[in-house]
Amino acid sequence: MYNIELGMPDPNKIHDMIILGGGPAALGCAIYAARFAMDILVIGKVYGGLIASTHIVENYPAITSVSGPELMEMFRDHINSLNIQYISDEIRSIEKVDDHFVLKSYFGVFKALTVCLATGSERRKLGIPGEEEYTGRGVSYCATCDGPFFTDKVLAVIGGSDSAAKEALFLAKHAKKVYIIYRREEIRAEPINKKRVYENKKIEIINNTNIVEIKGDERGVKAVIFDNDQNFEVDGVFIEIGSDPNSELAKRNGANTNDKGEIIINRKSETNIPGIYAAGDVADSPFKQAITGVSEGVIAAYAAFDYLKNIKIEY
Amino acid sequence: MAKLTKHVKLKVFTSQRIQPDGSKVKVCMDCGQFMALLRIYEENSNGKLTFEELSIDNNPEFAKRYDVQRVPTVLFIDDKEREVIRYLAAPQGGEIQPFVQAIFAFAGAPNYYEATIKQNLNRIKPSTIKVMVTNSCPYCPQVATIANLFAIASDGKIRTIIIDITANPDIAQYYDAAGVPYTIVNDQKAISGMVGADVILRSLIGGDIRVQY
Repeated sequence: MYNIELGMPDPNKIHDMIILGGGPAALGCAIYAARFAMDILVIGKVYGGLIASTHIVENYPAITSVSGPELMEMFRDHINSLNIQYISDEIRSIEKVDDHFVLKSYFGVFKALTVCLATGSERRKLGIPGEEEYTGRGVSYCATCDGPFFTDKVLAVIGGSDSAAKEALFLAKHAKKVYIIYRREEIRAEPINKKRVYENKKIEIINNTNIVEIKGDERGVKAVIFDNDQNFEVDGVFIEIGSDPNSELAKRNGANTNDKGEIIINRKSETNIPGIYAAGDVADSPFKQAITGVSEGVIAAYAAFDYLKNIKIEY
Repeated sequence: MAKLTKHVKLKVFTSQRIQPDGSKVKVCMDCGQFMALLRIYEENSNGKLTFEELSIDNNPEFAKRYDVQRVPTVLFIDDKEREVIRYLAAPQGGEIQPFVQAIFAFAGAPNYYEATIKQNLNRIKPSTIKVMVTNSCPYCPQVATIANLFAIASDGKIRTIIIDITANPDIAQYYDAAGVPYTIVNDQKAISGMVGADVILRSLIGGDIRVQY
């Protein structure tokens, strides 16, 4: 994702802002900061974030329907048009030195007056026997990535969220049968997606059920075991039970977090550390949507711009 | 491609056959479209980029010399005749970007991972990174880019093979891969899903990364 034309980042240069993350919140922040003529750098572990694995996005204003990867391509075109450098890397430490922050990864060292943490979240794991063993061999966390491998197969989607419903709908295009296995009575999908699930003849919901083990052999997944000991034969398991915030770096640097581990921000996307902002899934906002993440990122850019005005005379 | 800083020549193995009437036909379905794309790159490179098309049917001695059994196969061979990157794929969609980026880095464009790779090079044994991808996988381009840039920075110690498993399902089956990206270091450590540069480097080293800024 590194834009060769923009050259290597100068390790001695103090940027106005370094944005950590590769999803909509990070890139929304980057676009606004660049338009404020701030000197910025974006460093992300996963370009596109979780939304890149979403097969369809139908609630991003002005775009009726688009796939997650396509939406992130549109973001890429936008950041390229503003000559924003994006580096694929993971920062492992942030340290305050004099008036700026020093960020280090295994591949580089960077300096900035402000930092926006938009490090997103990571798919939650079930933590049951067989899950790790069969990951990549029938256990998946990305229907868009792996759905096509399961043409005419029987699949289980674990979870009852809107994301789980959308995964099931996508997988039903390839699979012979898709079972949504949910621990509660009624799936929590948006009404439009719930209706699509109910109308799809390939999808069946198994409610009030947990899975306690994933079984297989040397070729991959063969079955899941329910909490009533039933052995239920499937060829693949797609796990969609929510996500956990990637906030370890923030915590290590003293950012306040809530009981879910999300970074606590105010209405200006400020954390408790002056000069450090947070946005998107890693922050404590109640709604985890691309559009709300973009909004928080944009607010962080605005707030940082104001902050920099007070410490830099050229603004 | 006109911005390439030095000349790059890549070998592309296809299955072009010469008919009795002298006309040429490509047996491989992806090869025709892929070669057409590569010719556009070539034409827009001001002579900096050349693709040498070799048919495994018409040039079996070259196929044997470079151990090529599948088409299309693209080889990045360095000045010392070492294979740096092998594509068992006709990159399309999101996979085009890492392919183009590899061409630029191969021509000497700045390589973000180079300094750390060089600092740890004496701890890396001659290695092969295989990255299994599909053209529609959203996270594959990032892993392919990292693996390609590692190989280019490694002074011949690391070889990367990018495998489109839609076109080569037997390879996916051999490695029991039912998901992408699927990264295998030295035919031992399989890493499923999106993986960062530090994780791949640790697999290559077999221990912690040492870095001095």
